[in-house]
Amino acid sequence: MCYWIIILEKSKTQMESGRGFGGSATRRIPNGKSLEQGDTAQGNNNGMSNGHGYVVLRNRLTALVVDDDRICRTCEKALLESYGVDTQAVENGRDAVDLFASGASFNLVLMAKVLPVMNGLEATRQIRAMGIRSKILAVTAAAYERERRAFLEAGADEFIEKPLTPQILVPILLELDNN
Amino acid sequence: MDRNQVHRQVALMRQSFFDQGFLDEQFIQLEELQDEANPNFVEEVVTLYYRDSTRLILNIEQALEKSPLDFNKLDCHMHQFKGSSSSIGAKKVKSECTQFREYCKAGNGEGCMRTFQQLKKEYAILKKKLETYFQMARQAGPKEIACRPKPKLDICPDLEKNYVGWIPSRFRYTFSF
Repeated sequence: MCYWIIILEKSKTQMESGRGFGGSATRRIPNGKSLEQGDTAQGNNNGMSNGHGYVVLRNRLTALVVDDDRICRTCEKALLESYGVDTQAVENGRDAVDLFASGASFNLVLMAKVLPVMNGLEATRQIRAMGIRSKILAVTAAAYERERRAFLEAGADEFIEKPLTPQILVPILLELDNN
Repeated sequence: MDRNQVHRQVALMRQSFFDQGFLDEQFIQLEELQDEANPNFVEEVVTLYYRDSTRLILNIEQALEKSPLDFNKLDCHMHQFKGSSSSIGAKKVKSECTQFREYCKAGNGEGCMRTFQQLKKEYAILKKKLETYFQMARQAGPKEIACRPKPKLDICPDLEKNYVGWIPSRFRYTFSF
């Protein structure tokens, strides 16, 4: 068995803080701040906001982006790949369902709502009906409560308003990596 | 004008986009995704956005000419446009999209049309500003702004949890099994 660790350097100063990631030991980071044992991914805003930071995954994760909008596909795929996640992208719900049906598996699925051929809600339902337990994030430009409920009922794990940000994605990647 | 001055101008221009509300932090996320392998990522995505959204704008214009207005269809077009606008951090454009969708929900055709005119204005203003910005940035030449080194693969099987911290460069090395 071997582990792949993907170490990524984030070197840009953030416009807002809020990029706190968890740490397992006390280390000094270049701007002089230090992470303490037990800092949590969500809670700590001091950790990585002003200096160099690393997110280390122990496993190579896989993801599927389902979105008919080329810009969203490009941005989400680039974001995932920047964390070393092997990412595929398809343009409609039917292609996503077919991929799973053909035996492909993914740790994470980013599912848009409005899609040609088969929409995101239906695709989510069908994927769950196949017994697929991948983490499904509904990522949509609409943020209404009824859409959120509909997606969660269809089997999505979380509902996120576009755009997808590292603040939301990284804790999810860390959680998937630890399982 | 020497290079430092051009760099400074570019930086000031960039900052003004955030200060004046044209762009939000999503634009910074795009800059973060630029690296040696994708040195022009932001400009490419923005170019793609303006290319693809031309069709969406046309669809909305045509839909607004119909009578009676099909608010569901209008909302659907705008849903997509809002998604891509938010992906590049186009803050003012995105807020007009939200306003438009509110008018669709309320069945207010007059409001839709007014908002759409404002949206097209913001869209065009941002396009011009970004074109100028990218042109100047290219003239200024490469700078340290938003350029991350490529991901490195390291082996660390003893880690029990995900490690987050700083590794001195002499310990960073790449090999594979």
